[in-house]
Amino acid sequence: MRYLCLKVLTFFCMSYGAFAADITVKVLDKNNKPLADMVVYLESKANISLPLNENIVEVGQFDRSFTPYISVMQLGNKVNFKNKDDITHHIYSPIGENKFSYKISAGQSQIKSDFEQAGEVAMGCNIHDWMSGYLLIVDTPIFGKTDKKGQLNLTVQHSGEYKLVVWHPQLDALDNRFYQQVQLSEDKTITVKLDNKILKISEQKNEEDFDFLSDY
Amino acid sequence: MLKIFLVTLLMLSISAVNSAEVKWHGVLDIRATQANTLESYIDGGYGKFNSHDGANISLAQAGGEFIVEWDTGISAHIVANAYSDKNDSTVGLTEAFLKYRALPNDAGYRWQTKMGIFYPEISLENNAFAWASRNTLNSSAINTWLGEEIRVLGGEVALTRLGKFNDNGFDITVAATAFVNNDPAGALLSWHGWTIGNRQTLWTESKAIPDFRARMPGYDLNEQAEKSDPFLELDDNWGFHLRSKIKVHNKGQITVGYYDNKATPYMVENGQYGWRTRFYHLGASWRLPEAFELTAQYLSGDTLMQSPARVDVVNNDFKSGFVALSKRIKKHRMTIRLEEFSITDNDLTVGDNNNEYGKSATLNYTYRFSKPLFLSVEYNWIDSNRAARMYTNQAIDLTERQWQLAARYFF
Repeated sequence: MRYLCLKVLTFFCMSYGAFAADITVKVLDKNNKPLADMVVYLESKANISLPLNENIVEVGQFDRSFTPYISVMQLGNKVNFKNKDDITHHIYSPIGENKFSYKISAGQSQIKSDFEQAGEVAMGCNIHDWMSGYLLIVDTPIFGKTDKKGQLNLTVQHSGEYKLVVWHPQLDALDNRFYQQVQLSEDKTITVKLDNKILKISEQKNEEDFDFLSDY
Repeated sequence: MLKIFLVTLLMLSISAVNSAEVKWHGVLDIRATQANTLESYIDGGYGKFNSHDGANISLAQAGGEFIVEWDTGISAHIVANAYSDKNDSTVGLTEAFLKYRALPNDAGYRWQTKMGIFYPEISLENNAFAWASRNTLNSSAINTWLGEEIRVLGGEVALTRLGKFNDNGFDITVAATAFVNNDPAGALLSWHGWTIGNRQTLWTESKAIPDFRARMPGYDLNEQAEKSDPFLELDDNWGFHLRSKIKVHNKGQITVGYYDNKATPYMVENGQYGWRTRFYHLGASWRLPEAFELTAQYLSGDTLMQSPARVDVVNNDFKSGFVALSKRIKKHRMTIRLEEFSITDNDLTVGDNNNEYGKSATLNYTYRFSKPLFLSVEYNWIDSNRAARMYTNQAIDLTERQWQLAARYFF
């Protein structure tokens, strides 16, 4: 069904003279090693409204950690917090406009659809302090995360000038972001080489190997 | 006070049953022991184990925690323990408190408060359900004493700064507790010395005191009650405990604290004296390479008990420290713990010499038979010099040994 929609959408766009270009973004560190799990998004510089990316992001809690560690969604969309463990989690974000807190019982989900600001949502669990996850809310439907090869494929429907942004919560840069202006009018591979370091990611691991501790 | 607290707890749990999560946890610990010791300190002897001389089978602990957690961050905790061996069987509450854990603020600071009857947070060993010791069957001398005489009725306020919101790899906690109902703490430590066991004093329990000359008619301590009740309030003074903890992510923790019960040392009611007891404690547990885990703790303080005429009757300094090394290989865990302890008697009371010096070693092997069931064998060795054993015609220099086999089931 989604495939059909895309077809229809592509046809629709094409009939109006728009185009569809496949953009490949490669993110490398300064030693040319691929960087995985980097959020990349494209913001159009022109004043055009792009359709909402309706894929619902799932932020899981599994094995007492946020899985995935980094998620990305479009402002206005929903996110599904899903507890896949057999214990209760109390997930929260304490910072900024997008504060929230939910206690989610084992196996339960919580859908949230009212994030009001684009930006970074740093999450924790108030029962398991070692748990840590990030959700980036972007104001564009063109986004994704790089794979193990540091690669990400994006499709743009309108040619023109875009701002390409690379984000990672531990990227040692202003706002944890790298910016680049790109002109997109055809299929293209863009290689982003980051001189900035990725700082140490705290391991989401229960330090105790004993399951019967009394705290909390 | 306790009744009001329990009724409040009960009402809270009934009124909010829909939005609350109720949890049960606990531990069952069945042991066979073979000990070469004196009559146990539990029964008023000078034996340093809570098990008895010879071969015995006991219910070493049946502990349960009942927890109700609300979505607001408030939780109610009731902890009960039962013990049964050839000399006695007891059951009762060891802790009962309400806890509130706030959400961290945008700078990563979080408040937590606790009110009720609880252990001041000192032990690095007894953090399994119902205050059971995790890697060994018997607690160290420090924690055996905490389990016997240190418990408070009060409130703790703790502030934690979470490192993950500040790009730090560590969390820092500072906490302060104000409490009552721990005025006679220090009496049992002074009179039977440091011990190594797993028995926790129930909130309503009194413990036997050994026989020594100063308790006989005509001597200074003839007015002392037969048993000491460590959890009494005699002078309505608030005591306090301050502590701090640095938790380094995936490495370990360092703790430090100071306890002062602020008891008036010349108060006496129904044969129960006030003991001004103060101590500081330092501890660390650290993960080493090759899955080794090192835990060490040191506690040092003093205790003072006076006659109504304000003359020192018992004035002791006490110290104890241990180092424990533990290693897990899949389902097997081995632990070795070495300890040293002393009591220095600074008063001139006739017939009440509390001087003591000793060392102890504990070797434990635990096999995790299934997820909740742990089978352990443990060897305990204590070599001590305690002058007071002369009052009962026992050896002042004494080595006590014990083998224990245990099945511990956690649920």
